[in-house]
Amino acid sequence: MNHKTDIVKAGEKNIEKTRTLETVLPPVDIYESEEEILLFADMPGVLKEDVKVNIDNGTLSLSGIRNLQPRGAARWEEFGDVEYRRNFSVPQTINVEKVYAELKDGVLKLHLPKSEAAKPRLIQINAA
Amino acid sequence: MLTRLSDINRLFNAMDFFRNRLDSLYSDADWAPGLRWSVEDRFPKTNLYEDGDLFEIRAELPGIGKEDLNVKIQGNYLEISGTKKSASPEKYAIHRTERDITSFTRSFTLPADVDSEKVKATLENGILSLTLPKSEAAKPKQITIA
Repeated sequence: MNHKTDIVKAGEKNIEKTRTLETVLPPVDIYESEEEILLFADMPGVLKEDVKVNIDNGTLSLSGIRNLQPRGAARWEEFGDVEYRRNFSVPQTINVEKVYAELKDGVLKLHLPKSEAAKPRLIQINAA
Repeated sequence: MLTRLSDINRLFNAMDFFRNRLDSLYSDADWAPGLRWSVEDRFPKTNLYEDGDLFEIRAELPGIGKEDLNVKIQGNYLEISGTKKSASPEKYAIHRTERDITSFTRSFTLPADVDSEKVKATLENGILSLTLPKSEAAKPKQITIA
């Protein structure tokens, strides 16, 4: 068990304590066709401007921050403000320039088109 | 009796502690979020807020259109049900399917009766919000001191 015990209490170090968002893994579906890889990620309550999709050096990282703005007093609360975050490794054959994303009904749909060189090709056989 | 209850609480706390520890073994690996040591919930998560003379229920329903949702209210009984059409696109090979809830029903007993005529429902960004005004009898009343 990697249970670390600090000699100095954390409360003494953090003079100004900031509220940290809980990070959760969004559930995803991944499909692949000859043209593209299609990724769906559930991010209910996340606004379009709070979603970040980043592809860097073969790593695709998704991040979405949910800000619920509750009203009144909570009688029960099963979900709160979270950050959805998940990383994937992307194959070299993806055309990074043409990646595009849509957000509808709290589901992020990410199209990752394959580059021309990676698409299957039918080779014509010439009669000798 | 109180000491007995605290013993039981301690037992549950210990169970939670071990479950969290086992979960944290997975956090390094790229496991599906559904695969955990806890019982998997197959119904949407909800929040209930109370604000003066109304309640607000919010439910996480990603990928469900409003035509696939049903909300029933009777007195203080509320039922939300829905079905998700299979989103799996054709001619695609499947690599991962983690978001596979197809249908669900969840019912609640609200803390007070609501006026079912004045209920408003909105579905935005995968979150269903129901505004439920309390019925006249259940509303807070100002009492003037004679």
